[in-house]
Amino acid sequence: MHGRVKLKSTAQQEEEKRKEREKKLKIYVAARDAIFTKRMEGVLDDEALQLTQQLLSSNPDFATLWNYRREILLHLETVREEDDVQKTYEAELLFLESCLKVNPKSYGSWHHRGWVSARLPRPDWARELGLCDRCLSLDDRNFHCWDYRRMVVKMSGVPVDQELQFTDRLIGSNFSNYSSWHYRSTLLPLLHPESPDPPSPCHQPSHSSPPPSPQTHSHRVCEEQLLKEYELVQNAFFTDPNDQSAWFYYRWLLGRAEREEMISCVFVSREEERVAVAFSRPVNASSSGLMLVLDGQPQRVEWRSVHPHFRHSPVWICELPPGTISDIINEHNLTVHWTEKHTHRDCALYTGRSESWCRDSATDQELFRSELSVEKTSVLQSELQSCNQLLELEPQNKWCLLTIVLLMRALDPLGYERETLSHFQTLKEVDSMRSAYYGDLCSKFMIENTILKMEYAEVRVFSLSDKNLTMLCHLDQLLLVTHINLSCNQLLRLPPQFAMLQCLEVLEADDNTIENLDGLYYLPKLQEVSLKNNQISKLSDLQLLTSCPKLTCLDLRGNPVTQIANIQSELTELLPSVTDLLI
Amino acid sequence: MGTQVKDVVIKDDAPSALLLDKHADYIAAYGSKKDDYEYTLSEYLRMSGIYWGLTVMDLMGQLTRMNQQEISDFIKSCQHDCGGISASIGHDPHVLYTLSAVQILSLYDNVNVLDVDKVVEYVRGLQQEDGSFAGDKWGEIDTRFSFCAVATLALLGKLDSINMDKAVEFVLSCMNFDGGFGCRPGSESHAGQIYCCTGFLSITGQLHQVNADLLGWWLCERQLPSGGLNGRPEKLPDVCYSWWVLASLKIIGRIHWIDKSKLRSFILACQDEETGGFADRPGDMVDPFHTLFGVAGLSLLGEGQIKDVNPVLCMPEDVLERLGLHPDLLS
Ligand SMILES: [Zn+2]
Repeated sequence: MHGRVKLKSTAQQEEEKRKEREKKLKIYVAARDAIFTKRMEGVLDDEALQLTQQLLSSNPDFATLWNYRREILLHLETVREEDDVQKTYEAELLFLESCLKVNPKSYGSWHHRGWVSARLPRPDWARELGLCDRCLSLDDRNFHCWDYRRMVVKMSGVPVDQELQFTDRLIGSNFSNYSSWHYRSTLLPLLHPESPDPPSPCHQPSHSSPPPSPQTHSHRVCEEQLLKEYELVQNAFFTDPNDQSAWFYYRWLLGRAEREEMISCVFVSREEERVAVAFSRPVNASSSGLMLVLDGQPQRVEWRSVHPHFRHSPVWICELPPGTISDIINEHNLTVHWTEKHTHRDCALYTGRSESWCRDSATDQELFRSELSVEKTSVLQSELQSCNQLLELEPQNKWCLLTIVLLMRALDPLGYERETLSHFQTLKEVDSMRSAYYGDLCSKFMIENTILKMEYAEVRVFSLSDKNLTMLCHLDQLLLVTHINLSCNQLLRLPPQFAMLQCLEVLEADDNTIENLDGLYYLPKLQEVSLKNNQISKLSDLQLLTSCPKLTCLDLRGNPVTQIANIQSELTELLPSVTDLLI
Repeated sequence: MGTQVKDVVIKDDAPSALLLDKHADYIAAYGSKKDDYEYTLSEYLRMSGIYWGLTVMDLMGQLTRMNQQEISDFIKSCQHDCGGISASIGHDPHVLYTLSAVQILSLYDNVNVLDVDKVVEYVRGLQQEDGSFAGDKWGEIDTRFSFCAVATLALLGKLDSINMDKAVEFVLSCMNFDGGFGCRPGSESHAGQIYCCTGFLSITGQLHQVNADLLGWWLCERQLPSGGLNGRPEKLPDVCYSWWVLASLKIIGRIHWIDKSKLRSFILACQDEETGGFADRPGDMVDPFHTLFGVAGLSLLGEGQIKDVNPVLCMPEDVLERLGLHPDLLS
C-alpha cells in the first residue's frame, strides 16, 4: 500500500464504513467465484470477459484474471473471422486504456496491452505511440509506460533519431527528467557510435538483439555529438544547478569504456617457486583457460586466488613443481597464456636472479582515468572552466564540486591534488550525510596518486601515511611492493585484497583503528608488521598471521589485545617464528 | 529557481522507539480477519503476504505464534501440476509466489511439503533463450523474475539446473549508464530492480561485474534530508525503498555510504503507535509489506533486538546458516 494517509474517524463513521465494505465484499466474492467456476468448467465466452472486466477495472493486479482473458481471446481467435478478431482486440485495448487511466502503474495491465498489441491482426502502432505520449505527458517518470514505449518503438521500427528528438522535447520542457536523460544514454550510442563504422542516419530496427547496455558494451559516442551533449547538459545545470538528473548524465558523458582485458603483470619468485599473475580486471583463472608454459613445457599447475574469499580476483597464484626453478644458475622462460582472451605474457628469470617480473608500463591514463574520458584535453579544460564559473555562483553546490574533482582527475591528477583535497573537505561539510562516500572516494584518489608517483620513481615502496585514508583499493597494483607504510590513517581493516601484496616484506600501519587483519593471508615474504595503536582485541584476530612463514617482528603495542592475561606466552605459542615481539 | 527536493518532514511527536511487541501483535492479528474486504482484495498476492508476515515474525523471534500446519497445508494446495505455486487457491502459478512459498517453507525447514523436483522443473522451464526468465507461461520478462528463479533454486540447492551463463548475460545487459539496473534491457534504473539484480549477481557469484563505486554513489544519493531513501531520483522516500537501497548497498559493500542514524529515525517514524506495523511514510496506513521491510532495514542497520537479516534473500541469517547458504557480499 502506497501513499494512503491514515485518517481519524468516529465510531459511527467506522460502522458505516464497515457495512459498506461488507456489501462490497459480497459482490466481489460472488463475481470471483462465478469466474473461477466458469474457468474450471472450461467456459470461454463473452460473459466471462464481462465478469473479469468488472473485477479487473478496480483490481488490475489480479493477474489470474488477465490470464483467463487471454485464454478466452485465444479461443475466440480460432472461431471468429479476422475482422471480428480485430474488433474484439480493439475492444480489449479500449478496456485497457480505461484500466490504465485508473491505475497507470499496474504491471498486469501494461503486460496485457503488449500482448494484445502483438496479436492484433492489423496493429496500429502509431496509436500506441500516441497513447505513450499522452501517458508520459501526465507522468513523465512512469517507467511502465517508458518500457511499453520501447516495445512499441522496437516492434514498429520507429527511427532512433525520432526517439532522440522525443527526449529533446521532454528535456526541453523540463530539464529535471531523469527518465529522458536515461533514454538518451541508450539512444546516443546507437545513433552516433564512436566506432569507425559510418553512423546510420536511418537506423534499421533490430527485432532480435537487445540494445547494447551503456555499461557493459562499448557505449561511447562520437566526439561531435559529445560536444552537443555537453552543451545540452550545461544548459540544464546552469538553469537548475541542484537538478541531479543532469549531473548523473554528465558524469556518464565524461566516462569511457572499460580498460582492455589483459594480463598486466607476471611475477616469478625462485625461492618460493611461485608465479603470480595480475589481470586488468577480476577473473576466475580456473575457468578461463589460464596456461603456464615453462621453458617450452606446459606445466600442470593449480591456480588459486590470493584469498579463499575470492572466486574472481585480479591476482592469481600457482606453485611450480618442487625443484623446477630453484637452482640459481639456471635461466628460465615463462609464458602465461590466457587462452580465452587470446593473449599471453612472457617473463624471463635470468641466472643469478632470485625473482623477476614482466609488467605493463601503464601510464596514468590507462591505469586510473578509466572513469573519465580521453577526450581532448582542451575540451575537458573548457568543461572545467564552465564548472568553475558555476561554482562561483553556487559555492556550496555539491554536484558541481564533485564534477570539478572528476574533471581535475581527468586532466592532471597530481597537479590538482591540493585543490582536490580542499574540494573534498567542502563536500563533506555541505553534504554530511554522504561524508563516508566522499572519504572513500578521496582515499581512492590519494592511493591512485601515490601509485602514479611510485611508478614515476620506479620504486617498490608505497608510502601513504597521514592522508585520512578510510579504505584501501587498487591493491592489485601493489603486487610488487616490498614496503608499505599506511600509518596515521582511519583504516578499520586490512581487507582480503591485501593478500595481493605478494612481495610485501615490511608493513607499517600504526595509529589506525584496524580491528580486522583478514588480508594478512599467506604473504610469503612478510617479515615485519607494525600495528601500534590499533583496535585489535582478540587473539583469534591474529590467527591468520600463522600463515606468513617469514614473520619475525611484530609490534602490537597500544592494542586492546595486549591487555589479555598471559598474552606474551599465548602469542609465543601462536607465532613461534616471531622473535621480536613488542606488546 | 531550482527544484524543490521531494521529501517528508518528520514531526517531533513521531515515534522514535522501536515498538516490537506492537508489531508482533499487528502481524499475528492480520491473518485472523480473513473475511475482511481489503484482505480478500489482496488474495492475488497472498503467498507473498504470508512470507512478509512470517519473515518479520521470525526476525522478531515470534515465529511460533503463526500456525505452521495451516500454512504448510495451504502452500501444498497451491502447488500446480506444472510444479509452480500460485498466490492462493484458484489462482495461477507464478515465479513470484513460487519463491515466496519456498522462502516460507525454508523458514520452517520443511520444503519437502512441496514436490521439489517439480518446482525446479517449473523454474527451469521459465528460462528463455536469451537467458531471461518469464514470470509465468504468459511470457512477461523482468529481471525480478531472474532473481526469483535463482533465489528459489539456491534455497533448494539446485542452482545448476539452469543455463547460468546466459542468465548472467541477460541481467548484465540490463545495466545502465548510472551503474543501476532496470526491468529489461534499456529500462531505467530503479532501486527495487537494483536489489533484484545485485541479489541475482550475489547468488550467482558474479558481483565483480558490478561497477560498485558508481552504483554505490547513485544508491547513497537516494537518501533525502528526512533520512529516508527513495527508489529513483526525484521521488518521495519510502520504507520499502529504504530496504531495497540499503540491502543493495550492503551487497556491494557500501552500506556505510549513507547516514545510518538518520535512516533509523525515518524508519522508526513510520511506525503506527496505535495499531503497530510500519507504513511507507510517516502518517500513512500500515501494512505487512512495509512492516517487514521496516524491521529488516533496522536489522541491517544493526538493531540488536532484531535477528540478523540476510540482505540478499531477506530472511533471517540463522535460517540460511542452517541451509549452508552464504550468498557473496562485496567487501
Ligand atoms: Zn513502499
